[in-house]
Amino acid sequence: MKIVVAVKQVPDVSSVQTDDSGNIVREGIPSVLNPYCEYAVYMACRLKGDGPVTAVTMGPPQARGALLRCLELGADEAYLISDKAFAGSDAFATSKVLSAFVRTHIPGYDLILCGKQASDGDTAEVPAELACMLGVQQFCYVDEIVAGDDLRVLQNYRDEKRICVVPLRSVISVSKGECNRRLPSINDYLRAADVEIKTLDKAALGLDEQSAGVKGSKTRIISSRSSGVERSCVTIDGTNPSDAADVIIKEAGM
Amino acid sequence: MLRTRSLDTDSPYVADESKMSGHADALLIPDNEDDVIEAARESYRNGTPLTVSGMRTGMCGGCVPFGGKVLTTEKMNRVIGAGRDDRGFFIRLQPAVTVRELNDVMRRKAYSNLQDVTEGATAELKASGDYFYPVDPTELNSSIGGNISTNASGPRTLKYGPTRNWVRRIRVVLSDGTALDLARGDVKAVERTFRVHMGDGFHTVRLPSYDFNMDVKNSCGLMSRDGMDLVDLFIGSEGTLGIITEADVYVTEWHPLMSNILFFPCDEDAYGFVRGIRASSATPEFLEFLDSGSLNLIRGVRSKDPLFTSMPDLPSYAKSAVLLDLPMDDTLRPSYEAIKMAAEAHGGSLDRCWCGHELKDRERFFGMRHSIPQTVFEYVAGLKRTVPKIHKMATDMAVPLDRSDEMAGLYKSALDSYGLEHVIFGHIGNGHLHVEIILKDMGDLEKAHAAYRELAKKAISLGGSPSAEHGIGKIKKEYVALLYGQKGVDEIRELKRSLDPKMILAPGNMVDP
Repeated sequence: MKIVVAVKQVPDVSSVQTDDSGNIVREGIPSVLNPYCEYAVYMACRLKGDGPVTAVTMGPPQARGALLRCLELGADEAYLISDKAFAGSDAFATSKVLSAFVRTHIPGYDLILCGKQASDGDTAEVPAELACMLGVQQFCYVDEIVAGDDLRVLQNYRDEKRICVVPLRSVISVSKGECNRRLPSINDYLRAADVEIKTLDKAALGLDEQSAGVKGSKTRIISSRSSGVERSCVTIDGTNPSDAADVIIKEAGM
Repeated sequence: MLRTRSLDTDSPYVADESKMSGHADALLIPDNEDDVIEAARESYRNGTPLTVSGMRTGMCGGCVPFGGKVLTTEKMNRVIGAGRDDRGFFIRLQPAVTVRELNDVMRRKAYSNLQDVTEGATAELKASGDYFYPVDPTELNSSIGGNISTNASGPRTLKYGPTRNWVRRIRVVLSDGTALDLARGDVKAVERTFRVHMGDGFHTVRLPSYDFNMDVKNSCGLMSRDGMDLVDLFIGSEGTLGIITEADVYVTEWHPLMSNILFFPCDEDAYGFVRGIRASSATPEFLEFLDSGSLNLIRGVRSKDPLFTSMPDLPSYAKSAVLLDLPMDDTLRPSYEAIKMAAEAHGGSLDRCWCGHELKDRERFFGMRHSIPQTVFEYVAGLKRTVPKIHKMATDMAVPLDRSDEMAGLYKSALDSYGLEHVIFGHIGNGHLHVEIILKDMGDLEKAHAAYRELAKKAISLGGSPSAEHGIGKIKKEYVALLYGQKGVDEIRELKRSLDPKMILAPGNMVDP
């Protein structure tokens, strides 16, 4: 099965701190492969059979680190889409670039996998928009993929779960990884380090200045602020459960 | 302002990570050096014992008081400034800044609020790539002041040496409230004697007659060498000679690292692999060992908590493991060639391993290694509820590298002969393995002390130290006598008396008053 995995390099959220104004301090924060994208790479490598897994990302030159990680985990080839004209792309523009990549470079793909969302932007829009632009079906928030006579996925919308039969050439976004997933070995790393990561610019994808980046984006960020949610704890004496229930009802304004 | 609080017997300020607990009349909380001077003067006037306490991560009861007052430096936690001298950049800080906090400041290049200790240093540091503080005492929440007081070291001592190698300057308050500002090179001993000016005039400080062993990791007793630097006397003095109120520590350039864990069929194979690596061209910065018992300890916890150590299940073939970090530069592939040969000669391979180059990989590999003492710590904390006098027993002995395997064999045979359950892990690259003894009752504690004594004698006979990095504190005093004889103990006590005539500072640490 020929599988494309679209991935993103993100700041390591476990190291992110905010300044006094609630803004994220990005300086010195290490970059990592987005965890949901890592789950997608694992799933792709498990499903692939004979077919190659192609990892692709759009980002600055240092995003090669995320692609190296994909190769270590078992991806067979990797593409870095990097062009100054793509800087500032929103989810719409990113999807446009990724769909152009798929059409021009992997037109015979069988399946596209993504992480359900990136841990920095959290929009969760790219998988659905990519499917829309390619004119194929989308299956988002997938916890499991089972390949047998057909391909079935378990979609988990929290309040609803459903099992779907997925046609080939669909886009699947992955929301769950196994906590016991394997780590790369030294040989995996050495093999990955020998793979050439191919770099593509806008010309290679047949795109122009207006197609992506700030000019091709539909989102404008006006402002951002910390939501500043405060939690507090009230201890209730539970000696008399009925009285305790009354306190909860009153606190909850029920 | 110097604040005072009363202390309950179950206060965290009367215990440390050894789980030894003591008692004190009051807790003193200074905000700055003036407050420390005030506290020292009052204690000196009244002859009241004064035990200094940092982040209380010590393993030997060094900050545990038995009477008098505890002085916590925890509010003196500011990174002050940055400077540069012939050796390179240094950071000026208060004693309670932790290793993690110092490295966070440098990782984020958060220099804007720092003073220039030398002209333009903060701007130069900001423009000079990534820097870090390389001493890695495993417990990253330990304070730099505490690290200096114990000459802390850790896994990266293999490449970078102990804390002592990174201290440029200290400010220290003596027992009578005299503050000394000592930069390395300012005051050298004349043979084995210093003259130190205190409030009532010059005091002659005579160094012990033993030669402090610098050939192995060593934190046993005060440093003593002909012509040594006065800064080095305070480093590793465990709060017995003065209270550190400020320090300059050097930092060094950071570089990307590849972290690796290789698995082997038995402990002896891992020892053989390490011998092979040492004899090869590989350049590990970190070389740590986990024995079969350590791996089983991790498996045991993971069977109840699958997320423990944030790692996959250990492979069933893994009966021992070696962790090593390699620089991700041109030396990486040649190092891997050498590692391949050494691993394959001992039942390992470049497939029977894990590796990772993201920071989170390094942190979780390190977390796996740190989970061993932490798991035993939590076990002992639980046991203490039914056996209140129990405390943690972990060996901390270093021997010369060519005697390391012999010592590892001795650990196993001695502890097996006492019937004590144990795990062996730690700094195999420095001939410094730790043994955590898994105690079940007070009978085990007694046996553990006997076994420790026996092993300490062996380590000394092999040219090693009975206390490589944890220090002596109140738990390991007998090993000072074992290493230096009663004469050495008496000389340490007399040295202390020359700087602390009323014997009020950290009484009971290193030697009895």
